[in-house]
Parts: sequence; structure tokens; C-alpha cells
Amino acid sequence: MTNFLQQVVSGLASGGIYGALALALVLIHRATGVINFAQGEMATFSTYILWTLTQNHGWPYWPALAVTLAISFAGGFGVHQLVVRPVERGSVLRVVIVTIGLLLLINGAMTWIWSGEVRSVHSPFPTRTIDMGGVAISIQDLGTIGVSIGVVILLGLFFRFTKVGLALRAAATNPAEARLVGVRVPLLLGVGWGLATMLGAIAGALTAPTVFLDPNMMQAVLIYAFAAAVLGGIDSPVGAVVGGLLLGVGLNLLGTYVNFVGADLRLPAALSVILAVLLFRPAGLFGHRVVKRV
Amino acid sequence: MTRKPIVFVALAVALTLGASALAGSTRATGDPGITPTSILLGGTVPLSGVASAYSAVAVGASAYFKYVNAKGGVGGRQINYKYLDDTYNPAQTVQLTRQLVEQDKVFAIFNTLGTETNLAIRPYLNQLKVPQLFAASGDTSFGADAATYPQTIGFFPSYQAEGWALGQYMRKSHPKAKIAVIAQNDSYGRDLLVGLNRGLGGGVAKVVAAQNYEVTASDVGSQIAKLKSSGADTLAIFATPQFAIQSYVFANKLGWKPFVITNAVSSASNIMLLASEGGQNKTVLGSVSVVFLKDPTDPKWSKDPAIALYRTILARYAKGANAKDVYHVYGMAVAYATVNLLKRLGKNPTRAGLIAAVDSMNITDDPFLLPGIAIKTGPGDHFPLSQMYFQQYAKTGWKQFGSLVSYKG
Repeated sequence: MTNFLQQVVSGLASGGIYGALALALVLIHRATGVINFAQGEMATFSTYILWTLTQNHGWPYWPALAVTLAISFAGGFGVHQLVVRPVERGSVLRVVIVTIGLLLLINGAMTWIWSGEVRSVHSPFPTRTIDMGGVAISIQDLGTIGVSIGVVILLGLFFRFTKVGLALRAAATNPAEARLVGVRVPLLLGVGWGLATMLGAIAGALTAPTVFLDPNMMQAVLIYAFAAAVLGGIDSPVGAVVGGLLLGVGLNLLGTYVNFVGADLRLPAALSVILAVLLFRPAGLFGHRVVKRV
Repeated sequence: MTRKPIVFVALAVALTLGASALAGSTRATGDPGITPTSILLGGTVPLSGVASAYSAVAVGASAYFKYVNAKGGVGGRQINYKYLDDTYNPAQTVQLTRQLVEQDKVFAIFNTLGTETNLAIRPYLNQLKVPQLFAASGDTSFGADAATYPQTIGFFPSYQAEGWALGQYMRKSHPKAKIAVIAQNDSYGRDLLVGLNRGLGGGVAKVVAAQNYEVTASDVGSQIAKLKSSGADTLAIFATPQFAIQSYVFANKLGWKPFVITNAVSSASNIMLLASEGGQNKTVLGSVSVVFLKDPTDPKWSKDPAIALYRTILARYAKGANAKDVYHVYGMAVAYATVNLLKRLGKNPTRAGLIAAVDSMNITDDPFLLPGIAIKTGPGDHFPLSQMYFQQYAKTGWKQFGSLVSYKG
């Protein structure tokens, strides 16, 4: 029983990380209707900025994080305006290919700037663990899950109650009509990218203390984050986090109790989750079914 | 359709070039890469990309060759070592190695880094009878397949030998140990585990649980939790740097304080430093690993003539190189062995002569290896290094201890 609970707890910890990055994917999808394959690399890049500020320049954690978030927002906005916007008019495929190009470009740039060496980023949470009946629970992991849930609530409030949030939804749902009522669509799509990059930076800051920072840190996480986002419903922030946690726990239990899965088939298991959801419940657990008249 | 002629022209040109290259090689006297004043060696290392830290092995070797050249070279010949960037990608290794062999006409491929990369070029080099000298990998197959691939030889102790040494250590020093193993699920992790079991040799100390991880995994939290629940008191970490660090960190997170044994790749000083999480993680202290090179950061060698020479050579011929990086020492150790081999080839070095020399190495004075460690081979025995010492991690860094252990495959 202790082993079972420990696997659940450890799955929640991994799931919190998947969920945090899935949130960023969901946000861009909601704001601009595309999947950003470079999301993981952008998050890693942001984490490197945080690392540089805290380790190389000796900044205290919180101001460094604030500056990292600001730079990430500006960076995401800039990437959208310079790279994505020019190809946005055509088919979605073009944007997707551009984001794959960005993935390679950013990964190369990171190795070039910071080398492939593994780095450590400190966690804002204490590294202590609480022992509950033989099950070790790390405060750091509780922090990760807590932050993800906090971000979901903030996002919900943002989309529902702020003018920018409303305009973002309008721009994503129906760009043409949004433009007619005076929404500056291209600018807002950029804001969407900026916000998603900021969320990515948060995900990176949460991931790095456990996974450790190198240029490929988010590549493995990204695939699980895709699975989490699809499982939860690609347009639902709540779904992203719930999907992440479910996936983390599910994969751990599968790996522990189903012998032939073990550690080797974790990734295929995650991919089959994507496939199964798309086949049987395309809207995911919390997503909205999109109905189009043809 | 309009493209077709161009394809034909290209094909024709390629064929002609290929034919002339073949013709050239049959007409030439003596082996490629040898002139009256020079010997050309070539190889690939990751100068960029995720594994670029390993490029130091080429920098160290190159610096040592320059030092030998300044003293007159080998038999009046200067050793030129050309290394190219394969970014640790076997596809690029193949392409660049072909370039080195066919265009640069190297005498031998030397010191190419990595397991997959070396495996990728092994059939090609053996077919052309180009020596594949000192592949920088501990994969057991580079030594074990000497009959099939006589042109190929590795350098450092095989992963099986490392695992075996750790098993022997556990058997003697912790005879009642219950060992849990976290290993990468490829030949690297498997060889270490096989070696460990062989070293334990059916004693009371044994492996009670083994978990592996896929290189594409994001973390090993689940595996470490499972290993903890096995009731083991010892953790064997056979991983690559990032997952080695994670193993320590997750054990600590679970409140598990096992005794740790680990192989050379998982135990570089920077790994231990990161894993100790600024001194909070005490599991790191007391870890036991194996070592065969003189560690330039170990105060024990601060007055050692070889390490002093190492610093001088690095300062003169590899400006800006970090002298604390033990990979540079590795480069010089392997270059020293190479110079020794080349000296034995006499006035007219040939590739066949080089392989004959490779089959009968007995170098007992490589100053960059720990005292007593010999580089020894025989016909069909392509494991140059099979001796090592143990080291234990303390607050100040790794400390070598105990007597020399020799692995007999």
C-alpha cells in the first residue's frame, strides 16, 4: 500500500510538471488556434535566463523570476510579430512548420550560448520532505502542483473578467468579426504568445529544480505535456492540469504494476493516450466540442 | 522530367570520381597518411551539441601531440591530428569519417568519441582495413569483437569491467548488502549490470531490485520510489549525468539514504557537485566509484611530475582550456599510448604494422594513468585497460583508496 501511495505521490509530482507546460500549450491554442511545437524550447530558454540572472549575476530569486517573466513575455510577443505573423494568413500547417523550425533554432542557440552542460536551478520552495505514514511528500512538489492550480484560477479570471481576456477570446474564435468590432487582432495574438511564453517560463522554473537544466530539458516533458493537453481538452486550462496529473499518476502505476510496460514503454503509453483520446473523445475531458457547419 | 539529365550527369561525375579515387589508392606506394615528415590521424568528437563537454578529450590529445612534435615528433615525422565535429550524431560521424579516410587520407581513425558513433563507422573502417584506434567508449563490444573487427580497439575499462570491480568491492566491504540498481536501458546500462552481478559472484551481497529508464524519459522519480520500496540499503547508479543527478535528488526527496556505488561516467566531479544540492543532499557523501586517471583536482597529485607536465602542455598548446577538466588528462593518456605505438612502427609505418602493434601492447609507464595501471593487449584481446582503483566522495571531492583491482574478462 505504501508503495502504491508513493507511486501516486511521485506521479502527481511529475504530472504537475506536465500540466504546467500543457497550460502554456493550451493558452496559445486558445489565443491563436495553433499548437506551438517550440513551446518547450522557449520554456527552457526562459529558464536559462533565470539561471543566468541568479547564478551568474547573483540576483535574488524573486526579482530574477520577475525579470525572466517580463523578458519571456516580450520574447513571446516578439517571436509572434516577427516570425509567426507573416505566415499566419495561410494554412495552419505553415505555422506548425515554422514552430518546428523555431524548436530547432532555439535548441541550437541554447547549446551555443550556454553549452550542453547540466546546470542546477534553485527552487523557491524548501527541499524538505514530509513523511506521512511512510509516504514521502516533497514540499517542492506540493509547490509545483499548487502553482499550476493557482495559474489555472488566474487564467480563468483573466479570460472571463478582463477586457484583454475577452478580446483574446474574440480574436481567437472569430478574427474577422473581432476586427470589425475594433479588436486589434494581430496585436492581441502577440499578447497571447507573450502570455503563453510567460507560462512556459513558470513551467521551466518549476521543472528545472527536479529535472535539472540542459538544452533538452523540456523535450521529453513536451510530449507528455501534449498528451496532458489532449487528454484534458486542448482548449481547457483546467483540463491541462488535471490531464497532466492523471497522466503522471497513470503512467507511474502502469509502469509499476503492468510488467511489460515498465520504464521502457512510458513514452509509447503517453502517445497511445493521445491517440485514444483523439479517436474516442476528441474534445478531451474538459474541452468544448467544436461543431462546424459544412 | 527536365531534371533527369542533371541526375545522370551527377551520377556519371560521381562514378568517375569514385573510380579515379580507387585508381589513386591502388597506384600509391605505402599507406595513406604517411609522408617522410608527417603522420596524419583523424577522428570525430562532438564540438557542439549536447555532448560537447566531451570534446576536451580531443583538445588534450591534440595538445600532447603538439608537445611531442615540438620535441621532434616520432621518427622525424610530425603527428597531425585532425578532428571534426560530429555533434554526437552517428549519421554525421559516418559522413565525416568517410571524408577523413577518402579525401584527407588519414593513416588511422583515432579517438572518435561515443558508443553509437564508433559502432556506426566500425564495419566501414574494417572493410577498408583502416585502423579504428582507441574508440572513446567503454562499450564491451569494442574489445569483445576483436575477431570480427580486428581493426577496432577501445581504450578505457569496459563497462562490464567497471561493474565487476564495483561488485567485487561490495562483496568484500559490504558482504550483506542488498543492492538496488538504476540503469539506462541500453548496452551501457546492461553491461554495467552484467559486470556487477559477475563481480558479486553469487555471494550474500546481491542485487535485489533493478529498474531501468529510457533516455527519452523526463525523470526517474517513479523508478527510485520503486527501488526504495524494495528494502535495499545500497543504490547502484549506472546512468548518464542528468539522470545520475536526478537519482541522488529523488532518493533524498523520498527520505532514502542508501549507500551509493556508481560508475565513472556517472561520477564526474561536476555531477556530484550538482547532486549535493549545495550541501543539502548528504546521500552524495561516501559514494564509491572507480577511477583510472590522475584527477588534476586531487591534491594528492599537486606535486606529481606528470600532472605538472600536463598543466604546462595545456597552457602552451591549448590556450584557454580548463586544467581542472579530467577529460583533458584522458586525451593525453590516450595520446601517450598512441605515440608509444607509432614509435614501434619503425621507418616505414603501415596500417598492418599498426594493427600488429595494437595486438601486442604492454605500456606500463603512461604517466597520466594512476600508478601501476598498464595498457596491455594480446591477439584477440582488445581491452587495453582492465585495471582500476576505487574512489570515495568526501566534502572536498573524490579521494582514491584501496589497492589496484584487475579485471579478467
